[in-house]
Amino acid sequence: MKRLMTFKSILWTIVGLAMASGITRMLFGLGAITNQSDATPWGIWKGINVVPGIALAAGGFVVTAIIYVMRRHEFSRYSKFAVLLAFLGYISAATSLVVELGLPWLVWHPVIYWQPHSALFEVSWCVILYLTVLFLEFVPVPLDETHWFSGVRRFLIKYKLILVVLGVMISTLHQSSLGTMFLLTPEKLHALWYSSMLPIMFFVSAVAIGPLMVILAVLVVSSLYGRELEREKLGMLGLISMGVLVVYGLIRIIDIAATGKLLLVFDGSWQANIFLLELVLILVLPIIFLAVKKLRYSTAGLWIATISGVLGMVLNRANIAGIMLVQTGNLYIPTIYEIFISVGIISAAILGFLFCVERFKLWETKWEDSRQEPNAQPEFDRSSEVYLGAPRLAGRTIYSMIFVVSLAFGFAVISSDRLYSHGVDDVIAQEARGNGILYIDGNRDNFGVAFGHAEHIKRQQGADSCSVCHHMNLPQDKSSQCSACHRQMYTTTDVFRHDWHASPTGANIACNMCHTPGEEKQKSSAKKCVDCHLDLYPENAVNTFESYLTVSYVDAMHGQCVTCHAERALSDTTKVAQARCPACHTGSLPHYLKEDMRDKLRQPGLSNVIIPKSDVNLELKQGE
Amino acid sequence: MKAILTDVTLCIGCQECVAACKTKHNLEPDYPRNFHRTDGLSARNWTSILQKDEHYIRKQCRHCLEPACVSACPVAALVKTPEGAVTYDGSKCIGCRYCMIACPYGIPRYDWDRAIPYIQKCTLCYDLISVGQQPACTTACPTEATIFGERDELLAVAKQRIKDNPDKYINRVFGEHEVGGTSVLYLSDIDLGFMSYPMRDIKSSLPQTTSMAMSAVPPAFVGMGALMGGLYWFCKRKDKIRQQKNDKEGSE
Repeated sequence: MKRLMTFKSILWTIVGLAMASGITRMLFGLGAITNQSDATPWGIWKGINVVPGIALAAGGFVVTAIIYVMRRHEFSRYSKFAVLLAFLGYISAATSLVVELGLPWLVWHPVIYWQPHSALFEVSWCVILYLTVLFLEFVPVPLDETHWFSGVRRFLIKYKLILVVLGVMISTLHQSSLGTMFLLTPEKLHALWYSSMLPIMFFVSAVAIGPLMVILAVLVVSSLYGRELEREKLGMLGLISMGVLVVYGLIRIIDIAATGKLLLVFDGSWQANIFLLELVLILVLPIIFLAVKKLRYSTAGLWIATISGVLGMVLNRANIAGIMLVQTGNLYIPTIYEIFISVGIISAAILGFLFCVERFKLWETKWEDSRQEPNAQPEFDRSSEVYLGAPRLAGRTIYSMIFVVSLAFGFAVISSDRLYSHGVDDVIAQEARGNGILYIDGNRDNFGVAFGHAEHIKRQQGADSCSVCHHMNLPQDKSSQCSACHRQMYTTTDVFRHDWHASPTGANIACNMCHTPGEEKQKSSAKKCVDCHLDLYPENAVNTFESYLTVSYVDAMHGQCVTCHAERALSDTTKVAQARCPACHTGSLPHYLKEDMRDKLRQPGLSNVIIPKSDVNLELKQGE
Repeated sequence: MKAILTDVTLCIGCQECVAACKTKHNLEPDYPRNFHRTDGLSARNWTSILQKDEHYIRKQCRHCLEPACVSACPVAALVKTPEGAVTYDGSKCIGCRYCMIACPYGIPRYDWDRAIPYIQKCTLCYDLISVGQQPACTTACPTEATIFGERDELLAVAKQRIKDNPDKYINRVFGEHEVGGTSVLYLSDIDLGFMSYPMRDIKSSLPQTTSMAMSAVPPAFVGMGALMGGLYWFCKRKDKIRQQKNDKEGSE
């Protein structure tokens, strides 16, 4: 049992990590732990968990239809098994939606707000209905263990055929409507995948790969629990899959050929190569390994065919729902936390699956019979090293410890930068150099502006005009740069330094000098700056102090520079002219600029920006 | 049907429209974030000015006549109003972001940094235009580069301007026909193809791409039910005949 225990421990570890990331996502929003963005609004949760998850769960309706509608009772032993797989598949897809949706607690809204033109509306309805059907199909299995609701159980078994047919009908709709969803994006989805046949392709491929997923699950269970394989039956089921796969392959190849995209397939681009890889995985390998009789009935052949088919299916859906969808040039690489959640949801589904395999009688041929066979344990070999029906809570100590430790570790590895930062690296504003001319390069990307400080003082009516631009924190200041206070490009700055005003070593002002006595001490009951600093407000002052916070450096610069430039622009007829320094500076340029800007000015796009050579000395005499 | 006409040649890039929009809708200050695209639009910026060489182009929601986002939304949170605006009702939204996938212009943006996020996009100041006023941005524009009015009249204005200055403009009103027509029109002296995703093979509006498949849904549902019923009947009968045959052989 060591192998099983190791396997489950790994799964529990991943679930713990995923849980930590999931809780963080719920508390801090999607941006805190994902790399999904305005350019790539859907990430791996859609591309790996939701869309392929629903497709792989198709085995539920396909296998039950084969057994109950087509009356192929030789597959009856996989009936409960396939229903369980489908049920868990849909639950895991729904769980992925809970982390993936922005407002998951409103996921039921399509029930009351109808929009029948939307493919997603239809998918939501069908998934809700089919989950109900699957629940009703599966619930007799756990009820079998108890004596509760035995009437309900018998009723559900009696009318199972109706549930099976309902399941097929609903699945047909939403498996194909998942494809319809991507018909809406002809301009985004790569030409190799976009096709008006998408709904049909989605449905047919789900029918083909669904049973392969069931076979894969049987293989996994058999290898984990040492259960003997019925290769004969699995091979037969595989053969049915292969038949549908051939149809699917024909549809895809004919579609590509008919729309004249054959050349695209072999143009050597990375998309074309992935397309070929996808075809090999989903079509070529499964068809070869299921068509050859010797391979079909061998364990290795079944493993290869099913794994390849399932991987191909995941790749196909991931391509359509993500990788090939958005061609903006923005690269989306999921964060490690997104991967934790994605793999964690799959792990949780596998754990639930193993629990059911160990706990319930899944292998019996007939639903009705199990109670009459008192010794009907799951069909496991009774030799040593083989599952014999473990105690319910076997391994609970080790698993819960692993879960808690990995949960804690999961929280520990989430970088607080992602949670609390603005999502950009801090950019410290660069101090201006020069006195008469300030070279202002806030974000230090070497694209700065030469700002005529002395000239501006002159124009703003002389030495008393500092506070037209400068703020009140440096009352007598004559030439500080914005960066003296606005150290950080993007964060706002405190205007009023309360501590300094109240401190004995600072202004040493008593409370009631500013706050009206008897009233609560807050902003509204305090004096305005101008009541004390009257002398610092020239008549043409542009700043008023209604807020204790000033804008960020970026906003401050824009507020002060762009307004003038915009005004200036009104009188200039061409945009080109107004963006250039000579629009205002009608006289001859300073000598240092002449050298530097002569060439730059002729470059479109850079015309409002000066890139000084590193050896240019900007320390100039005031007033130059 | 109301519309906006933006004349790229008249825009001076002063961003007064951006400022007016932020004030009107109480949008918070914006910081560059790693989940932003580089076009200046974000959850806190519903319009922006793109600079392409020495041209300034205002970017905003195009308010398509047949919007892909409206047809995508599973809960009808996005609605095309008779006035022409595509509005958003956050109380219905479930946050699926299918509208962001669907929009051919990549307009809707998301509150990635919030635990309770909503879609954010230009609403054509629906509250203003529904009472007969014009949007904040067109009010603010100092050069009348972006103007508001009836779509038909603006189209006529645009065509007249092209006629008057055939050398100045590209002979095309951007938004007249693209994806079925939009309520935000552009006159330009440069090609504005970069404003949208590459529109290969799109001659009609985007919702039409899914309408056929969606209309096949009810027949597919019933048809599959009938097919399953028929199949069941057929297989049962086959079994029965085989059974009878076996019985016969057994009794002989």
